[in-house]
Amino acid sequence: MNEFELNRRGLIGAGVLGAAMVGLASCDNKATLAPGVSKADFAGAIKAMRGVVGDEWVFGDADAVTPWKKNYIPDPEGRHLPVGAVAPKTVEEVQEIVRIANKFKQPIWPVSTGKNMGYGMATPATPGQIVLDLKRMNRILEVDPQLGTCLIEPGVTYQQLKDYLDENNIPLWIDVPTVGPIASPVGNTLDRGVGYTPYGDHFMFQCGMEVVLPDGQLMRTGMGSIEGSTAWQAFKWGYGPYVDGLFTQSNFGIVSKMGMWLMPRPPVYKPFMIRHDNMADVPKIIEAMRPLRVSNLVANCNLMMSASYQLAMFKRRNEIVPDGRPLDDDSVRKAAKANGLGMWNTYFALYGTEDTVAAIEPIIRAQLTASGGEVMTAAEMEGNPWFHHHQTLMQGGLNLDEIGLLRWRGAGGGLAWFAPVAAAKGAEAEAQTKLARRILDKHGFDYTAAYAIGWRDLHHIIALLFDKSDPEQEKKADACYRELVTSFGKKGWASYRTGVNSMELVAQQYGQVNRDFNKLLKNAIDPNGVIAPGKSGII
Amino acid sequence: MKILVAGIAGIGLASSVFAAQKLGEYQPQRPPEQVYAKVCGYCHGRNIGPILLGRKLPTDTIKAVARQGRNGMPAFRPTEVTHEELDALAIWISKSPARVEEHGK
Repeated sequence: MNEFELNRRGLIGAGVLGAAMVGLASCDNKATLAPGVSKADFAGAIKAMRGVVGDEWVFGDADAVTPWKKNYIPDPEGRHLPVGAVAPKTVEEVQEIVRIANKFKQPIWPVSTGKNMGYGMATPATPGQIVLDLKRMNRILEVDPQLGTCLIEPGVTYQQLKDYLDENNIPLWIDVPTVGPIASPVGNTLDRGVGYTPYGDHFMFQCGMEVVLPDGQLMRTGMGSIEGSTAWQAFKWGYGPYVDGLFTQSNFGIVSKMGMWLMPRPPVYKPFMIRHDNMADVPKIIEAMRPLRVSNLVANCNLMMSASYQLAMFKRRNEIVPDGRPLDDDSVRKAAKANGLGMWNTYFALYGTEDTVAAIEPIIRAQLTASGGEVMTAAEMEGNPWFHHHQTLMQGGLNLDEIGLLRWRGAGGGLAWFAPVAAAKGAEAEAQTKLARRILDKHGFDYTAAYAIGWRDLHHIIALLFDKSDPEQEKKADACYRELVTSFGKKGWASYRTGVNSMELVAQQYGQVNRDFNKLLKNAIDPNGVIAPGKSGII
Repeated sequence: MKILVAGIAGIGLASSVFAAQKLGEYQPQRPPEQVYAKVCGYCHGRNIGPILLGRKLPTDTIKAVARQGRNGMPAFRPTEVTHEELDALAIWISKSPARVEEHGK
């Protein structure tokens, strides 16, 4: 583990950067191999993979693997560091690599663009894995402007897809998570991520997959296996059991192509921000928004952002309170007010024609004003960087503003998302906020959180921000995260998605029968357990 | 002054020199202006990451930081920004003048 420790510390300060690189270059790879994998197996797998993709695209020593090791999550034991990386360019190469992995029992951890920020990026759930880096597979295979569909490879970023649509004047939108430019639609959809246009539930708008199975066979889902079908990206369900879900948040195969629906650009797009002045307004906001969401009068996933989360994007913590002091509500309120923000800021948009937007706007204004909110639009918020951020996101625009969160608390860049689900009820959200604040306070961290208000659910998105250059703070963040997961679990609230640091812990909460069922599938589909062991707690 | 004028002209022309990706084809090698605009420039110069342009930063430092990801910066792998792209990018960043529209600490 020492090499890894040296490596990670080497990322921190400018002064040691050069020295750390020289040191690493001379290190042998003494990293922990996966259970049952000998040095000879690992060496054999690396050699065979070189034969498939060429020397240039296999990375098998500590120095070369460095770019795949970076993550933001707390990992005080260094459990989530890969031992190698391999980067195929074609599906045939992926099939060959899977066969090699089986031959040598060497586990491989597939990533699309490896930018699952705050969930582990490209790093694996368990030690000893070789990252299967699919970023080079970056072709946009089909775009149908009439149906509003596309078919893409895993390495395509949201930026690539948006540039393609813009350059070809195709009036379709993409729907982005908050770090769109460098993340991939395939990776985000397979982790069941969300975005902020009406097509924000990414898996719901996925249509058709091509999957490399763990035995190396290629399978197409839905209509994709019908020769001559033109409906692969048009009809989700196909025939018989619907299996696409099996390849999300799982390790039953490697998705090598994915279809998606794209929203036609509406004639009118009007973003809103609702300001509420008190932390205690949580239930009022949820109760006011729910009927608008359930009825689909408000059709996009809302982000209800706490002032502290908003401030953390563009400010440093010590601009709000001195170092070492708790982040109190009065100081946050003062800073929020100075920046045109409330204690809660709820963003949504209307999409349609001038007539439909004009018809709906008075209904939502009345409802949200009655909840005690101030209804703001671009007319009032012009030039406000926070409004601009959400205005961009809610039309599928690209930015990386959220990376600013990494500078909130010291220079070390630590972030772990904790994202428990609740039904969209005010009382539940109120109780979740109370519990989260109590646990975060206890460990000395801030409640920098938001609620994503879905059709009938809430994703309570809590950014656990810490300074990863401080080993003590990293340990505290790890302990805090675990307590959040377990304490929420006792109340019936579990995560919709989690980082590699907590996949096992969250899997335990979903129950033994469910775990056994997943294991049964895993053993049948991937008897050597070579595809991403530990993903979602499935080994 | 000449360099500054060239720099501004470069910004104006940037979108027309970007390498466009065609349907069914892999992303072509991108010129440094494009990598900067589509990757680096979302943070650097926008108050998220430190300003890079106009500082004559050593190319080796730029390349090492891009591959390792210092502090809150993600690491960029050779599968995302190829070695050829990064070599050209590091020289371009090192030589580029400051941009008045960029801000940050």
